[in-house]
Amino acid sequence: MAARSYSRLRSLTASLRLAILTFLADPQWLIPSMIAPVIFGLVSFMLFQGTSATLVLYAILGAGMMSMWGQTLYGSGWATGQDRNLGTLEPTLTAPTPYLYVVLGRVIWNTISGLFGGAIVFAVVAVAYGRPLPLAHPLEFVLLFVFVILSLAAVGIVFSAAYVYTRYAGFIQNIGEFAFYVGTGCMFPIVLLPFWSNPISLLFPPTWALDALRVLAIPGYQGLSWGFWGDLVGAVATTAAYLAIAGTVFSRVEKHVLEVGNLKDW
Amino acid sequence: MSPSPAIRTRNIRRAFESRKGFLFNEVVRTEALKGVDLEVDPGEIFGLLGPNGAGKTTLTKILSTLLIPTEGTAEVLGLDVVRDAARLRPQIGLVLGGERGLYNRVNARENLRYFADLYGVPTAERSRRIEEVLERVGLADAADRRVEEYSRGMKQKLHIARGILHRPVMLFLDEPTIGLDPKSARETRKLVRSLVADGVTIFLTTHYMFEAEELCQRIAVLSRGRIVAKDTVQGLRRLVGGDRTLEVEGYGFEDAEVNALRQLPGVSRLKYEEFGPRTRYTLRVRTTELTPPAIQASLSGHPELAIRERRTSLEDIYLDLVEEEAA
Repeated sequence: MAARSYSRLRSLTASLRLAILTFLADPQWLIPSMIAPVIFGLVSFMLFQGTSATLVLYAILGAGMMSMWGQTLYGSGWATGQDRNLGTLEPTLTAPTPYLYVVLGRVIWNTISGLFGGAIVFAVVAVAYGRPLPLAHPLEFVLLFVFVILSLAAVGIVFSAAYVYTRYAGFIQNIGEFAFYVGTGCMFPIVLLPFWSNPISLLFPPTWALDALRVLAIPGYQGLSWGFWGDLVGAVATTAAYLAIAGTVFSRVEKHVLEVGNLKDW
Repeated sequence: MSPSPAIRTRNIRRAFESRKGFLFNEVVRTEALKGVDLEVDPGEIFGLLGPNGAGKTTLTKILSTLLIPTEGTAEVLGLDVVRDAARLRPQIGLVLGGERGLYNRVNARENLRYFADLYGVPTAERSRRIEEVLERVGLADAADRRVEEYSRGMKQKLHIARGILHRPVMLFLDEPTIGLDPKSARETRKLVRSLVADGVTIFLTTHYMFEAEELCQRIAVLSRGRIVAKDTVQGLRRLVGGDRTLEVEGYGFEDAEVNALRQLPGVSRLKYEEFGPRTRYTLRVRTTELTPPAIQASLSGHPELAIRERRTSLEDIYLDLVEEEAA
């Protein structure tokens, strides 16, 4: 049991290390992780700079989330797509460790770089704004911010499974990107969306987490009707559900691809 | 009591389904393997030959736990490849080769380190093992270069290094020398022999007949998803009709003359090929009595006759078996 846990931990750290090395070796990653967040942040700031500080913060939080999507959620799925593309999925799946631990290592790196992206948005906007953004509860905000990233990562793991399952996962993820921005309330409150779409939005942990983040950061923010603690419970529950689903989905997907024999397709 | 086989398959079948049509509603089913029975002894180099699309890679992937058979069972090192895959994986190595299958943005050392961790190579031994395999495949000097800068041959060597890094008991090599220059190919064959000397059992697929003849104790020929023959090279020679091959080349042979050739003592098989007006008859011969002068005598009306004698090669055997199966 201890040996198995150690072997999984080694796979996870090996995958984390390779993700960092690949990131450093490939300058294209600077776009989603560093450049895109700054652009999102500045565009949001310019759109809302004439309004109240509360509205600026609302918009910046959305922009930060959108950029973190790119790095954390999209990056986690995309890395598995790269395994297909490079043909490394086959030798990785013949290794004794379950592939889920390889994905987890990458997700950790994407989470860390997603945090960088979010922090950069706030830093750049603070510089443009001329003073720090007025957060109501800064410490709690930072802690919740980390949790938001983890909730994105949980969705990212499920997306990774989709990439193992089929080479067309990228197609679905690209189409879903903007739906995700709108559906989770990154751009504007989900209460503005048609009523039938609200239950779908609530299936995604970031919807809850982002609302909690806004409640915490913006004094007087209404958001979803169940308040901060309701948001937090929803966020934790949906994140836990995604993580549980990911474990089951991964073992099934691994079995499925061995049955279908499409691992080398890309 | 003979040791239990390193590989044992029973009626392995594998079908692939693909979808076609505007709405992908047409299912096309292709049977890649149609009931393969095979046994490989521990410590041997077993060769699997077959034309493109015969099912060699499919069988290799099933045996190395990368594919689940549609029917039948396969055991490697006494473990079922489906049920016991998790226990089997640390003990086997797979070299699929080719341009893909490596992390191109990082160097060879980092590629090996990653897979060493995934395969559970002891941390204390990791660096030494990486150096050892890099040295063994001749990549030590290029170990710190990014893989994207590697030639095809260097990538092939790195695939092999990765396959042996965790010291597998059983190694699957799918066309290991493809893309290698003659010197590197020779070094790879030397490496394969040294691995067997270390006690590794090797399952090798190749298109190079001389390679299979040089390396393999036993060979199976796979054609259209079926094993059409399996034996030692000597046994396969007997199977296709003899050690000796005589090639008779000339012009305008009559049917009666061809029948006379076929009736000559020791002739077990006769094939012909046409090259414009010339015809070449290839005879597999079981005995030593039939000599070129005897053939010359039976075809006395052909003073232009050219007769060559040679040993039946593995390529001859392979072509005989595959053509026979196709017919």
